[in-house]
Amino acid sequence: MLEYAWMIPVFPFVAFLLISLLPKRTLSWEDGAGYAIGGAAGALVLSVLVIGDVLAGNTMVGDGPKFNWLVIANIEVTFGIWVDQLTAVMLLVVAVVGTLVVIYSGGYMHEEGAGRRRYYAEIMLFISVMYGLVISDNYLQMFIFWELVGLCSYLLIGFWYEKPSAASAAKRAFIVTRVGDIMFMAGIIILFKYVGALDFAHLFGEEGVAAVPNDMMILATALIFGGAIGKSAQFPLHEWLPDAMEGPTTVSALIHAATMVKAGVYLTARSYPLLVQAPETLLFVAAIGGVTALIAATVALVATDIKRVLAYSTISQLGYMTLALGAGGYLVVYADTAGGYSAALFHLMNHAFFKALLFLCAGSVIHAVGTNDMRLMGGLGKKMRITSLTMLVGAIAIAGVPPFSGFWSKDEVLAAVYSAGEFDSLFFLLWAMGIATAFMTAFYMFRMWFMTFAGEPRSDYHAHESPKLMTVPLMILAVLAMSSGFALFVGDGFGYFAGESVAELFGGHHHESAADILAHIFGDPLTYVSLILATMGILLAYKIYYLPGFDRSVFARGVAGKLQRALENRWYISQFYDDFAVKVVYALSLVADAFDRYVIDGMVNGFAFLGARSGGLLRRAQSGNVQRYAVIIVVGLCLLLIFMLYVAPGGRW
Amino acid sequence: MMGDIPVLSLIILLPVIGALITFMLGRRESLAKWVALAFSAAAFVLSLVVAYEFVVDPYAVPGTEIEGYSNGYQFYESHVWIESLGINYIVGIDGISLPLFVLTTLLCMLSVIFSWDTDRRPKEYFGLMLVLEVGVLGVFVALDYFMFYVFWEIVLIPMYFMIGVWGGPNKDYAAIKFFIYTHIASLAMLLAIMAMYFEAGLGSFSMEAIAGESVGFSRGVQFAIFAAMLFGFGVKLPMVPFHTWLPDAHVEAPTAGSVLLAGLLLKMGGYGLIRVAIPSLPSGAQDMVIAMAVIAVVSIVYGAILCLAQNDLKKMVAYSSISHMGFVLLGYATLGELGVVAGVFQMFAHGLVTAVLFMMCGVVQHKCGTRLIPLLGGLAKKMPIAAALMTIGFLASLGLPGLVSFAAEFMVFAAVFFKWELWIFVPIAAVAVTAAYYLWALQRSMFGPMTDKIDTSHLKDVNWYEGIPVAVLVVLIAVFGVFPSLVFSRIGPAVEIALRAFGGG
Repeated sequence: MLEYAWMIPVFPFVAFLLISLLPKRTLSWEDGAGYAIGGAAGALVLSVLVIGDVLAGNTMVGDGPKFNWLVIANIEVTFGIWVDQLTAVMLLVVAVVGTLVVIYSGGYMHEEGAGRRRYYAEIMLFISVMYGLVISDNYLQMFIFWELVGLCSYLLIGFWYEKPSAASAAKRAFIVTRVGDIMFMAGIIILFKYVGALDFAHLFGEEGVAAVPNDMMILATALIFGGAIGKSAQFPLHEWLPDAMEGPTTVSALIHAATMVKAGVYLTARSYPLLVQAPETLLFVAAIGGVTALIAATVALVATDIKRVLAYSTISQLGYMTLALGAGGYLVVYADTAGGYSAALFHLMNHAFFKALLFLCAGSVIHAVGTNDMRLMGGLGKKMRITSLTMLVGAIAIAGVPPFSGFWSKDEVLAAVYSAGEFDSLFFLLWAMGIATAFMTAFYMFRMWFMTFAGEPRSDYHAHESPKLMTVPLMILAVLAMSSGFALFVGDGFGYFAGESVAELFGGHHHESAADILAHIFGDPLTYVSLILATMGILLAYKIYYLPGFDRSVFARGVAGKLQRALENRWYISQFYDDFAVKVVYALSLVADAFDRYVIDGMVNGFAFLGARSGGLLRRAQSGNVQRYAVIIVVGLCLLLIFMLYVAPGGRW
Repeated sequence: MMGDIPVLSLIILLPVIGALITFMLGRRESLAKWVALAFSAAAFVLSLVVAYEFVVDPYAVPGTEIEGYSNGYQFYESHVWIESLGINYIVGIDGISLPLFVLTTLLCMLSVIFSWDTDRRPKEYFGLMLVLEVGVLGVFVALDYFMFYVFWEIVLIPMYFMIGVWGGPNKDYAAIKFFIYTHIASLAMLLAIMAMYFEAGLGSFSMEAIAGESVGFSRGVQFAIFAAMLFGFGVKLPMVPFHTWLPDAHVEAPTAGSVLLAGLLLKMGGYGLIRVAIPSLPSGAQDMVIAMAVIAVVSIVYGAILCLAQNDLKKMVAYSSISHMGFVLLGYATLGELGVVAGVFQMFAHGLVTAVLFMMCGVVQHKCGTRLIPLLGGLAKKMPIAAALMTIGFLASLGLPGLVSFAAEFMVFAAVFFKWELWIFVPIAAVAVTAAYYLWALQRSMFGPMTDKIDTSHLKDVNWYEGIPVAVLVVLIAVFGVFPSLVFSRIGPAVEIALRAFGGG
């Protein structure tokens, strides 16, 4: 089955071509939604078959079919496919979330009218290139799809391009992620020089790894991770993601759960054979992850836009994954276990389900209410029973309440970070940040849920439950959000399965029975710390945002007020970038423009002017006076002689 | 096979005949465009035949072994022209000139189509376009310095008139500036050619023959001649600080003129460097490596920053050419096969992409009556096809993978890192600026709310004669973006030969 994996992106790509090129009347239902669902479903079926093959123990790492992309001199760049356990996890996420989002779109985008065709075409391209990204067998091919993913998110974030905010957000997303992409490209080029190839089989092999000097390995891996910082919205390049919700909510769901931002985490995980060679980079990865998780969670505490809360929570959860990958690398190097690595992938998968669920629920709410502002909502629970219940499932899952999925993976992540503390005490600090984040996550998710669904309506609207086309995907995702955590105990267990893809990097990969894993989790006191904090977060939200009589204005006063304003302004990071772009870069360009106009071109025009004037002067030199000519000839000859004899001796010229 | 037909000469001759017919149409002016289309299309089709018959591995072709550095030419023709001066008529094509040769016939044909509604002195307009085509084609296949120089100078004249007659409000200044500036550069080139001719002392202007001698010139001589050539070709490229003629010329030139200017004329500079200067004067090139690299990087970064400040869409695209042609010079400066091949490919890529950009600027000018970005906005609503084409063009130009420029840029960066390691971060930073100015321009002109500063009530989408050329180019941009090896595989062997003097590149 694996040799057909290249066909997975073909399905949505064909759908993209059909939707964008067929005459409008042949698109029939919803202007192409039929083709879109067909394309997504075809890819889903094939993905499931491929995943089944991987579960059965087959992989295709470096021995698949190849295609020569470029040959110059002795340099050869070939493209091919690579399917291992990591690919399988990503395929699952993209396939399930992608398909459900497309089905949901059938209802959500109904009122969009003529724009639907463009929407479905772009969504199909988006899903297709994401599939292409995860099955790539070399960095350059991956980079190509990587950039195309960025392009699609640009197009979809700017879907409502007449809105100035949407046009601006799309541009920001592209430029900010491109800063990361440039680092990624530089990292690739460094590896290219030393290894002479870009495919994983060569790069990750012993010879490939040995060919790169240590300092260059640190630089290259840090730069490649720089790509992930941009794409996965890690600090300090994270501010594009909250702006990116200017696109339709379905697009946000796709970006946040399955495609764009997961690409960065995937890239980091994919680069593990290189990262473990550079512990310095691993520490950097972990630190970025921890800081991101914490900072984003703080901003989510005060956000009033329902999608913005979710956006910051995505950033925060991505921080968790990055943190786990950083810590996991330490564990692979020093403790011979893939615990952190598989925890990150586990969280990636669980997060995909509950975050897609949360976003689609938010979409359902926005669809019904017509606003994103939670301050104008309230009391929706009675009118939108399915949405409110499924969203509650999502909130419980992300808050980390057992037995829902978020609990298991978050616990694994924190446990891995804590145990990495044994090898570098910085991880204890990062663990503390992670645990604080867990508390805040529980709080802001329930704050959101209470503000939206509980209490009385705070503005005038006539909400109604969304159509079946939208609620059925919600229910499916809710089931997944409840149950995907149990993957930990199925078969060999998720941890073992995911760890297989990096098994070559360390010695002792061993099975753990389900009972062992359970005993491990519940025998660890740290599990209860995070559980208690999550419960406290929920209760606090309940007290402040559900129970009547709490005076929220205390937050606006004194130090708390200052803090709140800093948070509402997203720690002024976005402001900083705006200022940098306008007051530094743009100002510099204006200076350069003036320089070009007046100095460089001024000199050109000056020469022209001199030329015209000297022409006039020279005309006077031709006086017809023979004696004067003779004098000039003699003086000239003398000067020439002096030049040849003294100034330029040796006579090379 | 077409071994016996002098096909390159035939292709050069076609636009000559076309131009003569066009000029002699008398009062039947409306036929001019048809004549121009017929002859440029015929040249294009024949050049496709050349490309098809072109043998990828030149070593396999018998009878192309020529003394000197440059065997590997195909469709080779050699006739004595002026024997007493050692001037011969020699033409031939190799992997470096082939992409540019086909690009020339393609862009000329598409420019004719794009100019379909030109009603101001159409005979002269289309005739001059064909004359221009003759000159550019000649430059790309001439293998004799005398011919090379003649064709080089032929190009200047039609372009001067295109700017000066069909140009915008400030056309006189721009046309004169273009002419004088590039003419001074031509003089430097002529001096260099004469110096090589006399220093070689063969009594022949044959490029191959002279190159056989010039590689042995003393270091000082090579340095001086190379410097003169770098100036001569560099002005055309253009390289900072000799670039200021370009924005002026573009802003005033008619759209087709800009397409040909940026798409082809700039390539003449890059072509001259790799055809003549670098292989003939290896030690001169090596002595100038740092200078070339610095100029290239400054062009890339400075050009990109200038783009950000522009309010005129077309001026922005013009400055972007400076930035992107800097990649050509940067690739050459590495003097390695990878970098030089990438530089040549970048010329081809830039030719395709920049043609789209200038055509779309022309569309905007045509429909809206202005190209000033602050006056535009929200055009995508009324001109969805134009917006889509422009977006694709901009994305291609900013180096989006899957489109043609990416392969060139990536390989140039790789070559730079191979040679200068971490200095790569200076030019690579310009990539972010490039994305910024293009997307910002798109946001302000095509997206956002519909502008109320110009009358948009009668705004229409692209006409057929505007849409088709751009669509053709967009398809090619995608095809060569996905399959760059179609071109790379032909450039490679030729560059290997050109760099032989450097010990195998």
